[in-house]
Amino acid sequence: MTPRIANTPATLIIVIAVQSLCAAFYLADLLFDGVMEGWAQVIQGDFFFEAAATLALIAAVVVETRFLMDLLRRKAYLERQVSIAAGAFHDIILDHFSLWGLTPAEQDVAQFTIKGMSITEIAALRGSAEGTVKSHLNAIYRKADVSGRGGLLSLLIEDLMGRPLLAQAPAEQT
Amino acid sequence: MRHHRIWDPFLRVFHWALVAGFVCTALLTAPEGRLHQDLGYVVAALIALRLAWGVFGPRSAKFSVFVPDFAAVMAHLSDIATRRKRVYLGHSPLGALMILNLLASIALIALSGFLMTTSAYAGAKWVESLHETLVVWATGSIAVHVGAVLWESLRTGVNLSRAMITGVKDIPRDANIVP
Repeated sequence: MTPRIANTPATLIIVIAVQSLCAAFYLADLLFDGVMEGWAQVIQGDFFFEAAATLALIAAVVVETRFLMDLLRRKAYLERQVSIAAGAFHDIILDHFSLWGLTPAEQDVAQFTIKGMSITEIAALRGSAEGTVKSHLNAIYRKADVSGRGGLLSLLIEDLMGRPLLAQAPAEQT
Repeated sequence: MRHHRIWDPFLRVFHWALVAGFVCTALLTAPEGRLHQDLGYVVAALIALRLAWGVFGPRSAKFSVFVPDFAAVMAHLSDIATRRKRVYLGHSPLGALMILNLLASIALIALSGFLMTTSAYAGAKWVESLHETLVVWATGSIAVHVGAVLWESLRTGVNLSRAMITGVKDIPRDANIVP
């Protein structure tokens, strides 16, 4: 997600807050004038321009608030989609691991490999020798019947694209 | 219904004493009178006690617990936008912002009112207009606060105003509690 999109609600909130303050100020000013000087004195000439401007400001605040709510809804929806996709991908990975009959240690190494870590990094994370990690990887590739990391990834992604994402989502949208 | 004891007795007494203090001082007493000044000191003392309670008091009253960060405010707004029913055991993020606003503006009202009684600022026009503007601001804020409490009560199904009297929040089964 780019920072521009992430910060849009914040900018909008600030704009709404400032415009609400302005609208409240003009409204209060108008009411005070009416009460202090008598409405007959106030309701003429410039009054209609001021009233129209204030109403326009209030309308803008209402529209912006609706827009903000839409934006937040869309953001929440996208976040849900991403977590569904992540969950689906995780499910696919685990399905394949059990299908291939990977040992727990091999599953660990396979997860790290899919996340893009090098053999050196995996060895450091697991506290084992690089040779051990290499032999785990060879076993993984043999069991999955692929030639290397690229083959492993494309196997999983192919399966992910073949599955309907949304059908798997729990129907809990209330 | 699950019952959660949230608000301690001091907090509740403070809340309703502040309501009474503000209404009496701002609306029912003559601004030039002795009573107006005395009530102003009472309100200032209430605010001072609340600030101390916010540092040394129980968890639900502590500023360090309920002052929200930006992410919490956004989460609360998102809940409203997506009609998600999540309830806060203590102050909600938007509610907390209103509390800070009211504490600050009422404290400033008391301060500017006190300044008008000192010889140095007795005739200063700007102190007087600051005092009056803040009273209008606080009154508007209180109206928004009451409206928001009623609206949040309807939205979440938790009777928030009763909780401020009894100290207990009754949370419906279908509402999730924000951790």
